[in-house]
Amino acid sequence: MVIREALAPFILTVLLLIGILALVLVPIAMTQPDPWGMIDTFLLGPFRNPRHTGNIVEMATPAMLCGLAVALMFRTGMFNLGVEGAFFLGGLATVATALLVPLPALALVPVALLVGTLIGSSVCIVPGYLRSRYEVSELVSSLMLNFAALFIGLYVVNYVLRDPSAGAMVSYKIPLEARLPRLIAGTRIHLGTLFAVVACIAGSIYLFRTTWGFESRIVGANPGFATHLGLPIRRIMLRAQIIGGAIAAFAGGIEMLGLYQRFSWQSLPGNGWTGVVVAILARDHPLLLIPAALFLSYLQVGGDLVARNHDVPSEVVGLIQALILIFVTASAITRNPRLLAWVAGRRTENEA
Amino acid sequence: MAASTTGDLPFLRFEGISKRYSNGTQALSGVSFSIAAGDIHAICGENGAGKSTLMKILFGLEQPTAGTIHLDGEAVSIASPRVAASLGIAMVHQHFSLIPSLTVAENILLGQEPRRGLFIDRAEARRRVLALSARYNLDVDPDARVGALSVAAQQKIEILKALSRDGVRALILDEPTAVLTPPETDELFQQLRDLQRAGLTILFISHKLREVRALADHVTTLRLRQVSGDSPMAQISDTEIAALVMGASRPTPVLRGGRAFGDTSIDVRGLQLAASNGADRLTGVDFSIRAGEIVGIAGVDGSGQRGLVSVLSGARRPTGGDVSWNGSPATSLETVEWRRNGMAHLPADRFHQGGARSLSVTENALAGAHRLARFAYGPFLRKRAMQQRVGEIIEEFGVRCPGPGAPLSALSGGNAQKVIAAREFATRPSFLIADQPTRGIDIAAAAFIQSRILELAASGAAILLISADLDELLALSDRIAVIYGGRIVATLDNGPDVTPERLGPFMLGLESAAW
Repeated sequence: MVIREALAPFILTVLLLIGILALVLVPIAMTQPDPWGMIDTFLLGPFRNPRHTGNIVEMATPAMLCGLAVALMFRTGMFNLGVEGAFFLGGLATVATALLVPLPALALVPVALLVGTLIGSSVCIVPGYLRSRYEVSELVSSLMLNFAALFIGLYVVNYVLRDPSAGAMVSYKIPLEARLPRLIAGTRIHLGTLFAVVACIAGSIYLFRTTWGFESRIVGANPGFATHLGLPIRRIMLRAQIIGGAIAAFAGGIEMLGLYQRFSWQSLPGNGWTGVVVAILARDHPLLLIPAALFLSYLQVGGDLVARNHDVPSEVVGLIQALILIFVTASAITRNPRLLAWVAGRRTENEA
Repeated sequence: MAASTTGDLPFLRFEGISKRYSNGTQALSGVSFSIAAGDIHAICGENGAGKSTLMKILFGLEQPTAGTIHLDGEAVSIASPRVAASLGIAMVHQHFSLIPSLTVAENILLGQEPRRGLFIDRAEARRRVLALSARYNLDVDPDARVGALSVAAQQKIEILKALSRDGVRALILDEPTAVLTPPETDELFQQLRDLQRAGLTILFISHKLREVRALADHVTTLRLRQVSGDSPMAQISDTEIAALVMGASRPTPVLRGGRAFGDTSIDVRGLQLAASNGADRLTGVDFSIRAGEIVGIAGVDGSGQRGLVSVLSGARRPTGGDVSWNGSPATSLETVEWRRNGMAHLPADRFHQGGARSLSVTENALAGAHRLARFAYGPFLRKRAMQQRVGEIIEEFGVRCPGPGAPLSALSGGNAQKVIAAREFATRPSFLIADQPTRGIDIAAAAFIQSRILELAASGAAILLISADLDELLALSDRIAVIYGGRIVATLDNGPDVTPERLGPFMLGLESAAW
């Protein structure tokens, strides 16, 4: 009973997700000649083939890391969308380092990732600094800066890294010794996944078990309280954005070295936005980021399979994501005492 | 339009009005009095005496739990502001509800715009506003943008808006002068007298005696949720009104004489603070607190208490004057420096400053102390030490909570305040600011916190006590300083001769004494 009580919010979220899936899938399936086949492909398809199951995990890897970056900033009361740009620029700077800097094979990956992290995180740190120094809304400045990062990045790709022998605007091939090792044969799951899981665990320890994390949560929960305590709010805010930016940029580097042969992004890849969705779904809890990221990736893989095999565009997944965002953030539903009581199998006091 | 007086029948009568909120707070108990047609009727009382609740009931925003309202001798049930409007009752709230980007005419006729087909008939709207303005002799420019106007002009618009409905007979004004300068206040009073001549009955809520004297024909005083006095202005003196508002002095036997005080701890000289909110402004505050002494600040809410606390806790920098602490300058210390030197602060606003609702009891109780070697090991928190300490606090302060991991929001106000007090007292402060330390909490919790404050003083801390509860001030303070209009107007050594009656005139700005 106690366990059921504690899990009530979680169970309620899961019930909501099932409801949303049904709400979108059922009407779409009815338009299909083979409705059961489509639902079957969507829900079970990803597990029929180890390669597809692997896709879930590899897709969840940047989602976990970007979600972690967003969650750490959300918890501090910051809404920095620079995660998207930091991911992009982190990936690019990592590739650029691997391509341009002559390094011994062993140092290649760590140095490339480090440089990528340093350069990429600037997309979060600059808005963070402007916020803490001049009270510029980090939401607006980071959103704008994402595009600055994109176009600077495209310039660098085009004029510095571009491989003229390749047909498209892509970089030279990333040296083989810079690629992250694959973990499971038959899939593309790479070392980065391990990093991501460890990062989520470390993020949880950081938030709940360290003085810095505690201070972040105080500022996020109530800035007036932090002022009252005399905490250095600006420094705490900036710290959160530096850490978040670094994680997002690191995620970009890992994504590149783990899955790509060349830097080939022509636009913002969208992983930062996915991070926002993941963080919201996980309610900014670093450990819950892991299932949240896996779940969203599962939907994406299922959606892609349906798009390939049935006459349904993969944008359906976007529709499901949008509904999830709306319903999961609707605290009128997820925090509703009556619903929670019902899920926990207990009667509310005023009903008695 | 003129209100008809049918014989001796009062225009409006409250009969045994009681109000109890669902959370158990009693806001009014058995309030009965009458308002004569065509009078300017003042309702006086301290904060929390029930004035606003009574007006909300009259305007249909709240429903009484018992009692009836009679209008022209007939019982009426005012279920909503719409019903109040249909009965001819209009209200001007303390906080304006105007839209700054719209014009005067648009604001006044908001929701009742004249239409022509699908569109608003602007010419007609303008005409109506001008007619209204002429009828009540309230000059406004219908085309001006409200945001560009002065506060006094906005208030005029607010009044016109209230009068724009048809058949208005009574106008309620809730502390209308709070936002005005003295000349604007005089102008408002002139306008209100004009409205009275036009046949309106006016209910004027205020706790400024001078204004009540200048304007009203009749006054009703509320104290502790009941009517404490009701009289024509001509038959009552200011001191009598003050006594009715403040209440007869309850004997306060806790006399704290005989204790030796140490050297001057906090010394405040000519402290000034410019603030956008006039209620926080300081215009020259002088006082000092010796070690082991409790200095109580008495004053009507919004007389500068907030500004004083914000300067002495490091939240704001004063614009003039000096603060010294144990002989060292402390005028521009930051909060963190105040705290490092031994300041602790029980804030008036429990959930905006005192704690974070969404964080746990443990986290609220130990925030700020979390970097002490006792609770931190390098960058990590010692969870076990924190659990153990919070267990002690819960035990020692008798905090009733579902558990140390429960969010602060799960606790009652009194228990939340205990958690906050435990945190602040744990630092063994040498200077404590106790701002409304027992407001809104139950008697047992209040007594406990008060006894803790006394203990702290006995151990040699300098204590600044700010409280709207005069009984509390008189029971705890060694000296009482009265603040009015952002400065200390009197400082009295606490003793049997210091009573609410004696403090009242100072608090209301009728008298000031050099000290």
